[in-house]
Amino acid sequence: MNDVVVRFEHIVKVFAEGSSREVRAVDDFSLSVGRGKLVTLLGPSGCGKTTTLRILAGFEFATSGDVYIEDRRVNDIPPQKRDTSMVFQSYGLFPHMTVYENVAYGLKVKHVPKVQIKRQVAEVLSLVGLEGLERRSVGQLSGGQQQRVALCRAIVTKPKVLLFDEPLSNLDAKLRKGTREQIRRLQQELGITSIYVTHDQAEAMSISDAIAVMNAGRLQQLGPAEEIYSRPANRFVADFIGEANFLPARVTAVADGQVTIRLFERDLTVEQDTPRFSPGEEVDTVVRPEAVDVIGIGEGDVDAEILFSHYTGSVVLYALKLPDGNRMEVQVANPKERGLLPIGTVVGLRLHRKSLHLLKKET
Amino acid sequence: MRISSYQRELRNEVRRLIHDPVLLGIVLVVFGLLAVFIVLPLVKVVQFSLWPGGQFNPKYFLNFFRKSYYWRPLINSMIVGSLVSLFGTIVAFIFAYGITRTDIPGKGIFRLIAMMPIVSPPFLIALAAILLLGHHGVVTEALHLNWDIYGLPGLVLTETLAYFPIAFMILEGVLSKIDPAIEEAALDMGASKLRTFLTVTLPLAIPGIASAMLLVFIRSLEDFGNPVVIQGNFQVLTVAAYHAVTGMYNMPLGATLAIFMLIPTLMIFVVQKYYVARRSYVTVTGKPSGVGLKSTEPHVKYPIFGLMILLSGVIILLYGVVLFGSFTKIWGIDHTLTLKNYQYVFSVGGQYVLDTIEIALIATPIGGILSMIIAYLVVRKRFLGRGLMEFVSMLNFAVPGVVVGIGYILAFNTPPLRLTGTALIIILVFIFRRMPVGIRDGIAQLQQIDPSIEEASSSLGAGFFRTFTRVTLPLVAPAFLSGLVYIFVRCMTAISAVVFVVSASWQLLTVALLYEVDQANLSAAAAYGYVIIAIVLAAIVLMRFVVEKLFQKGFSPIARE
Amino acid sequence: MKKALLILSVALVLFTAAFALGAAKQTLHIYTAFDADQAEVYIKAFEQSHPDIEVKWVRLSSGQVLARIRAEAANPQASLWFGGSNTSHIAAAKDGLLAPYKESLAWQFMPKQFKDPDGFWVGLYVGYIGFVSNTEFLKKVGAEAPTSWQDLLKPEFKGEISLAYPFSSGTAYTTLCGMLTAIGSPEPGFDPQDDAYIKAFDAQVHHYNESGSACITQAGQGEVGIGIAFSHDILKKGIAKGFPVVMTFPKEGTSYEIGGMALIKGGPEPELAKIFYNWALSKEAQDLYKQFYRIPLNPEATVAEGCVTASDVKVLPIDLLWYGEHKDEIIDHWHEVTGK
Repeated sequence: MNDVVVRFEHIVKVFAEGSSREVRAVDDFSLSVGRGKLVTLLGPSGCGKTTTLRILAGFEFATSGDVYIEDRRVNDIPPQKRDTSMVFQSYGLFPHMTVYENVAYGLKVKHVPKVQIKRQVAEVLSLVGLEGLERRSVGQLSGGQQQRVALCRAIVTKPKVLLFDEPLSNLDAKLRKGTREQIRRLQQELGITSIYVTHDQAEAMSISDAIAVMNAGRLQQLGPAEEIYSRPANRFVADFIGEANFLPARVTAVADGQVTIRLFERDLTVEQDTPRFSPGEEVDTVVRPEAVDVIGIGEGDVDAEILFSHYTGSVVLYALKLPDGNRMEVQVANPKERGLLPIGTVVGLRLHRKSLHLLKKET
Repeated sequence: MRISSYQRELRNEVRRLIHDPVLLGIVLVVFGLLAVFIVLPLVKVVQFSLWPGGQFNPKYFLNFFRKSYYWRPLINSMIVGSLVSLFGTIVAFIFAYGITRTDIPGKGIFRLIAMMPIVSPPFLIALAAILLLGHHGVVTEALHLNWDIYGLPGLVLTETLAYFPIAFMILEGVLSKIDPAIEEAALDMGASKLRTFLTVTLPLAIPGIASAMLLVFIRSLEDFGNPVVIQGNFQVLTVAAYHAVTGMYNMPLGATLAIFMLIPTLMIFVVQKYYVARRSYVTVTGKPSGVGLKSTEPHVKYPIFGLMILLSGVIILLYGVVLFGSFTKIWGIDHTLTLKNYQYVFSVGGQYVLDTIEIALIATPIGGILSMIIAYLVVRKRFLGRGLMEFVSMLNFAVPGVVVGIGYILAFNTPPLRLTGTALIIILVFIFRRMPVGIRDGIAQLQQIDPSIEEASSSLGAGFFRTFTRVTLPLVAPAFLSGLVYIFVRCMTAISAVVFVVSASWQLLTVALLYEVDQANLSAAAAYGYVIIAIVLAAIVLMRFVVEKLFQKGFSPIARE
Repeated sequence: MKKALLILSVALVLFTAAFALGAAKQTLHIYTAFDADQAEVYIKAFEQSHPDIEVKWVRLSSGQVLARIRAEAANPQASLWFGGSNTSHIAAAKDGLLAPYKESLAWQFMPKQFKDPDGFWVGLYVGYIGFVSNTEFLKKVGAEAPTSWQDLLKPEFKGEISLAYPFSSGTAYTTLCGMLTAIGSPEPGFDPQDDAYIKAFDAQVHHYNESGSACITQAGQGEVGIGIAFSHDILKKGIAKGFPVVMTFPKEGTSYEIGGMALIKGGPEPELAKIFYNWALSKEAQDLYKQFYRIPLNPEATVAEGCVTASDVKVLPIDLLWYGEHKDEIIDHWHEVTGK
């Protein structure tokens, strides 16, 4: 059942309107989120993702456009009446209250009977492995524990929408992965519609049903992780998610679901049906560094000279110079097996045909 | 049809308020209180001056410029104000520099001394000055001086000492907040300590110095207690307005003088707030850290130390002489020790003690909570008219107490708000008179709290009241309670506004003190002064004890690690 | 939320209870121009003989009382005006601020020069303006105590005189009336010689006080050399206190005051005020003046030894009624001449 819980329609947010410091933080943003889905707003800092989230929560007000929660227009409704719950980057726990009092807070507001509150709090704490810690003062907990208490506090009230504002950025890297998993599993188990904001693409890609990539206030692309990665809609998305090489090429023929391009003095056929290209058009070919094999001279599509090798243990990333002078990066897994190639070596490169993706040239 | 963005925003704000009736209610109530108890009295003052007897008649206004005994007091007040702000800032700077930038001993004591004038009625210093340097003062006699302290010298001396603590607090904050890295960078590049001070430290401190000077100027302009005692023939505007109203019942005249008192203070206030404060490179919030460069060279340290000892000595001498005077039979004639004066205070003035404490105890919590609510609205909430609320509530900062007093008796002497003669009018004067300071403190306290905490509360469904009482207040509680003490102190030491609103039913200690000074019963006046000080000190100690007991566990409202 | 309302209502109840408790006895509100310690004596005596009445009083100088009841005209806060120069009472009667009380027997028996013919005020005592000089000061400057109004202008007295502002103090206003009558033409009001005198006199003044008798203590303590006040106050607060002072009178003649009392029109407790009114004119009340050297107007009351009476000084023919009614003009002119 395709039941839309959250709908953004043409949201615009301008700060300091009319002054010299005017900033268009969100620019004509529209998005629908289905029930039980987790959608992530992903982008660099300043792209408008947090502002959008806070507009949904009610802490910011849209300059124009409408926000709907389950078909109810909530633009003018104050945050406490919106039935959303937020997990903050700094957790926002009440320092003068115990774990129990923090988690029970929202239930008390709803006048849930005490006996039931006790039960629900205990339940939700055990879901994240914090059972028995009710009486602790929150100042005594570790960062990871505090984060989980913030999570419990937000979900125990069973809100219609759960909002996450970069909840993991204050945690150490090691903790992040485990917590990320926990959040996602919990969200799926409980089926709460969630909107998640982060600048960490690995995080976004691993937990989302769909990712909305944002830049300079605008939505760049919306889709599941795999789609965003292998079929980026524009240069920004391609560059922001993972690493990418952009190789200029020319379209020679267009057929149904296939485009033939001329690259490295070869004709390559790419399977792609959008956008529509025309023969003779100049395009950029997106080639991910892992989608290239390093082989002997003359055996591949083109030869290149190694300029630098970024060795990181599990992979090595070679920076190479192409015959036309342009630069390209290629990643080789498990370099120990083949041995590290020194600077100056000339090698052959073969592109993985199925992994090629074409973008229209952007001015 | 394109609506302007401003109109659109306005319409949205109205809609949002309608959806949050609690917030709307609070906002309306606050605006109502501000309108009636801050704006209305000022309107009445203007009305009585320019529309005396109901007809527009600028006679009093124009007379102000024609009659020298109207405008001379204004000139005099400005002269005094300029001198006081200059000397007060210098004295404050010496103390502030000594405490924050040198390693002299006894800093705690010096700080205490610098703050002493705050806990006592400011005109106690004038009383002390007369005891020592009056026409028949102890020092005048001993040195066979042919001169006395009445007039301009007395005004400058007493007001400088009474108001330099204000400058001191600002300068202490400024000097200790300058990022040490900036000064270290200068030294690193080869500048001498003196050069660093003159080219780096001082320029950074200039906005703070300017603020200090302006604020002291305002306090001097509105001072009533000291001039009434020691102005002699050098008349200042506040006393002239007082005479016009209480001595001559000339309300239009009093109102006109009030307006001419208000113009300079408002101008200075606006300059300070919108021009000087904006240029500050250093924010003064929280406790000073005192980690700037220390001057340890003897040729800097010792002169400063010496000056501080000298100034402290003067202050202690002044307070000491009043204390001694309170135990003497008749100052100047018979210095046998006696408790008679204190008996007098508690018999004739016994009711005054009770009245004053009772009224102060009622006004303090109400004033504190109202200030905190307004601070909260201004800092955390966005709503239609927020800027206006902030401006109006800060207005009283610039309004002299005498103007407030006159405004209140003009505004509240007729139905529907007949408040003259009641305790309520005194309570209201106390609440709204110094509310700007309470609001400013409240804003500083709120800014220490991570906003996510309160947003979390809203996010979980709590409305204005629940968030305010369950989350905000407990987090600011220690600072809030300490702030209450300052409100109480101001209530106990207030004079310039309340001298107009005391009545047959309700009298105040400060007014009784002034009466005794006027009657030249200096010993009795001294006793009143120390009774006030004793009550204030008791309140401070009590509150400190309470805060410590309640908040031993201590927690940090700043959740960011 | 509910808790907040509960606390608020409890506080409100406590508050009103506190106020209500104060209202168990009957309360009479009065303004008095007597000095606080004198007023205390008189009022306590009244309360003792009338135990069911509690008196709440405020001490203001007579000019201030006049100003206060003018300001409160729409809503008077006090019922009785007790003491102070009657020039202020006259001004108040002219403005319709007082209530007449001809029914009082005491008023009826008072000689007519000591009461208002329509019953608006009545005299309590008489007092004479005198000079009080500090003897050590006189020795220092080598002068005699002043015995005329002109003496006050002597160069050795420059900056050594204090008295009250004529607009706030009945004492000072009475003094002013005396000066205007003694100098130049005795017709009421300012004439050119009066202008010159007042200007010259003002230059001699060190400072002006709010209340009339403050200058006595100041002279006694040596704050100033000479004060001008009422003889009864000089006796009580200067000489009897042991200050090194001496009292003298101007030979041209001195001014005098009738200390007055009146009911305030529209006051909250008119009946209680009347009780006090009649008591204040009784022998019992007027006997109290003895300790303060005031001259009671009740012929049966005892007069203190050493009291200065009309036979001891020359009295000026001052048209008190005129000066009472034209107080505002006189004060305005005084402002003009002195620039204060």
